[in-house]
Amino acid sequence: MPPMPPGGSETVLGADVTFKGECAYEGAMRIEGKFDGKITSKGRLAIGKTAHVSGEVTVGLVNVEGVFKGNVASSEKIELAASAQMTGDVRAPKLVVAEGATLVGNVVVSPDALKGAGSVERDAILSGHAPQPAPAVRR
Amino acid sequence: MSKSAGRRSLLCPRCDAPIDVSASTKSVPCPGCHRNIRTEDEVVNDYQARVEYYNEGHVEVAKKGIIIAEVRVRNLTIKGEVKGPVRARESVQIAKGGRLYGDVVAPTLSVEEGAVLVGRVEVGPKRAAPLDSPALDAVPQAG
Ligand SMILES: [Zn+2]
Repeated sequence: MPPMPPGGSETVLGADVTFKGECAYEGAMRIEGKFDGKITSKGRLAIGKTAHVSGEVTVGLVNVEGVFKGNVASSEKIELAASAQMTGDVRAPKLVVAEGATLVGNVVVSPDALKGAGSVERDAILSGHAPQPAPAVRR
Repeated sequence: MSKSAGRRSLLCPRCDAPIDVSASTKSVPCPGCHRNIRTEDEVVNDYQARVEYYNEGHVEVAKKGIIIAEVRVRNLTIKGEVKGPVRARESVQIAKGGRLYGDVVAPTLSVEEGAVLVGRVEVGPKRAAPLDSPALDAVPQAG
C-alpha cells in the first residue's frame, strides 16, 4: 500500500470480522475479513490477502490482494496483486495487473473510463471496428 | 544452429494439434488441419488489418504497430494497439501507452499503468485457453 495521506486514518476490518451492509468513509480502509455490501469513498481501499469482499465498490484507489466478487469503479487506479482473484466489472482510468492475478469480467480502463463513455465506447469498439473474426472452430 | 538449440512443443492455433518444431522453425504445416502455422517471434511495426492473426510465437506490437484481427498467439506484448479478440497460450502484456480493445483470454495478463484496456477479460492460472473452446465467449475451466 502507498503511505497514508497526512492526517489520514485507516479503518481496518480484521480477518475475524464479517460485515454486511453499506460503508462510507474518508481516508482509507483495509479489509482482511469478509465484507458483503456496498463501499463508497473517495479514499483508498485495500482488500487484503485474507479478505473476501463481494458487492459494489466505488472508491478512489483500490488495491486487491484477496478475493473480490462484484463491480468496482475507481476514480484513480485499481491495482491487482498477483494473489488477487477478482470477478466482476472494472472501470477505472488506470489499472495495474500483476502477472498471476485472476481477473474475469468486463474491463474499461482508459483515461476517460469514468466520463460516462465507458459502456457505449466499449460496445462501439467491440462490435464495430474489427473485421468479423472467422468462425473459431473449423473442422 | 546446433541441434541442441532445442525443440519446441507447440499446439496449432486452429485445431490444437500438437506440433514439435525446432527452435528456429519459422513456420510449419499443421498435421491436423494442414494449414500453415507461423511459429516465428515477430515485432509488428505497421498497420495490419486482417481476419486472423495467428502465430505460435511471441508477438510484440511496437509503439507504431496496429493489429486489427482475431489474435491467437503464444505471448503478446502490446506497446501499440490491438483491436479484436485476443487469446494467448501464455501471456498478454500491455505496456504503458499500449491499447487493447477486445476480449482477452490468457493464463496471465499484466497491465502497466497508463495502458488502455477495454473488453471482457478472462485471465488467471486456470485460463489456459485450450483452443478447442468455441472462441472467446466460453472458456471452460481447466480440469
Ligand atoms: Zn491445425
